[in-house]
Amino acid sequence: MNPSWYWPTPNGKPPLTAVLSVVLPIAVLALTASTVDISTNKIFSALPRMLDFTRNLWVMPDWAYLPQLGEKMLETVEMTLLATALAVVLSMPLGILAAKNASPHPWIFRMTRDLLSLIRSLPELVWALVFVSALGLGPLPGIMALALVTVGFMGKFIAESIEVVDFKAIEGLDSTGCTKFQSILYAMLPQAVPDFIGSLLYILDHNLRAASILGLVGAGGIGYDMVMSMRLFNYERIGMIALSIYALVTLLDRLSDVFRQKAIGGNLNVH
Amino acid sequence: MAYISLRAVHKTYPNGYCALKNFNLDIEAGQFIAVLGPSGAGKSTLLRAMNALDPATQGEISIDGVALNKKNYRKIRAHVGMVFQQFNLVNRLNVMTNVLVGRLAEHSWLSSLFYLFPKTDYQIAEAALREVDLLDKAWSRADKLSGGQQQRVGIARALAQQPKLILADEPIASLDPKASEEVLKLLRKICSEKGITVIINLHQVEYAKQYADRIIALNAGTLVFDGSPEQLTQARQAEIYGTVAEEIYHEPELVLAHA
Repeated sequence: MNPSWYWPTPNGKPPLTAVLSVVLPIAVLALTASTVDISTNKIFSALPRMLDFTRNLWVMPDWAYLPQLGEKMLETVEMTLLATALAVVLSMPLGILAAKNASPHPWIFRMTRDLLSLIRSLPELVWALVFVSALGLGPLPGIMALALVTVGFMGKFIAESIEVVDFKAIEGLDSTGCTKFQSILYAMLPQAVPDFIGSLLYILDHNLRAASILGLVGAGGIGYDMVMSMRLFNYERIGMIALSIYALVTLLDRLSDVFRQKAIGGNLNVH
Repeated sequence: MAYISLRAVHKTYPNGYCALKNFNLDIEAGQFIAVLGPSGAGKSTLLRAMNALDPATQGEISIDGVALNKKNYRKIRAHVGMVFQQFNLVNRLNVMTNVLVGRLAEHSWLSSLFYLFPKTDYQIAEAALREVDLLDKAWSRADKLSGGQQQRVGIARALAQQPKLILADEPIASLDPKASEEVLKLLRKICSEKGITVIINLHQVEYAKQYADRIIALNAGTLVFDGSPEQLTQARQAEIYGTVAEEIYHEPELVLAHA
């Protein structure tokens, strides 16, 4: 080793935590790779079949399917928007209760946090299964499942963005003799807005993708058609469905970029 | 009884650091009082004890004959304005809302929920903004203003509380000399014209001598000088700043509290 090069530590050696954070994950990966059956052999032997599948996608689209595709995509988008809107309304108070600096009591903070992680512990698909068996097939159980899981995530995101709000503004409010509720409304929430918008846009993106597979369990959206055409090797449809989901996700991504710029750059004022 | 009186006030921080020791002080209404002393002497602690942002651990503080306690501090704060070194504005809200915040203590949670204020509040806020000469910036976002302007918004917020007392915790420490003078002149004018008592923490002895009616100085949590600007001679200044409380620099929490 070149002796004139040192790490910026008192003894010139790399810090122990940095070494461990590189070495430990590699060790864990090496140990677990065999138990989850990762083998290069298997990956390479699957290549011809992958190519086969890809080749099969190059067929004339099933144009007659287009109206139904449009209808199902629209349903997917509607499910996404409804579920997200519902979740935002529900998660706002929960998020405030789950923020350490805004919660009225440490126990309420703890309990709300635990409730949110309980909701998050099961994925949308499992909640959708629960709601489908209770409410029957269709988009409604899908919306409910999606909204529920979104509350779990959004509540946590809102709480975290409130917790990192600059304490100076809060102190400024407190010094005027206002109540905690008023200081949440006038100091914490406005300062947390850029963070909210960031998480909201991420959640919209995530929910669109989640809504497109909920059909797998009969909870509405494009998912049912997608799974059925996969199972029936209906390549004429698979390509169309995949492309339209891709187009929609990309469109949303572009829109959210524009919106984020405005919101965080300050052109989108609260007033 | 004096307008503000502190009797045997002690402040010990949770980590055991004692910032105010057996502190006694009387302040008459309508005076402009400068508080001097080295960093860590307890100047901020003193001001922050007066509106219970950092309540005293022992002793009694009374303002206008009312003793400060856990139950009434909000009521007392409603008429005690505070001006901060870092302005402590809500950056993302416009200037008008930042000033109207000074009226919140008078309102119920329901009207606050919808960001609604009565017309009388707008008149008070406008008068406050005119006082600090920022009425033309009323609808700008607070963080778009310069440091000096932001501090004047801070003063307007305090004025909107219609206070009898303004506590200014190193209000010019983050400002350039020109903005500093503007802010000091403004506070002096508010004190003289409206009869509002102003207690201001300062690092500049010259400014204290120039603007204050009375100067008090702290070192290591005790009062080491109390008198008129004329009485603060070179020799007395050397005494005040002679022994710096070194220990505080080893306590990050306290350095923050005094920053």
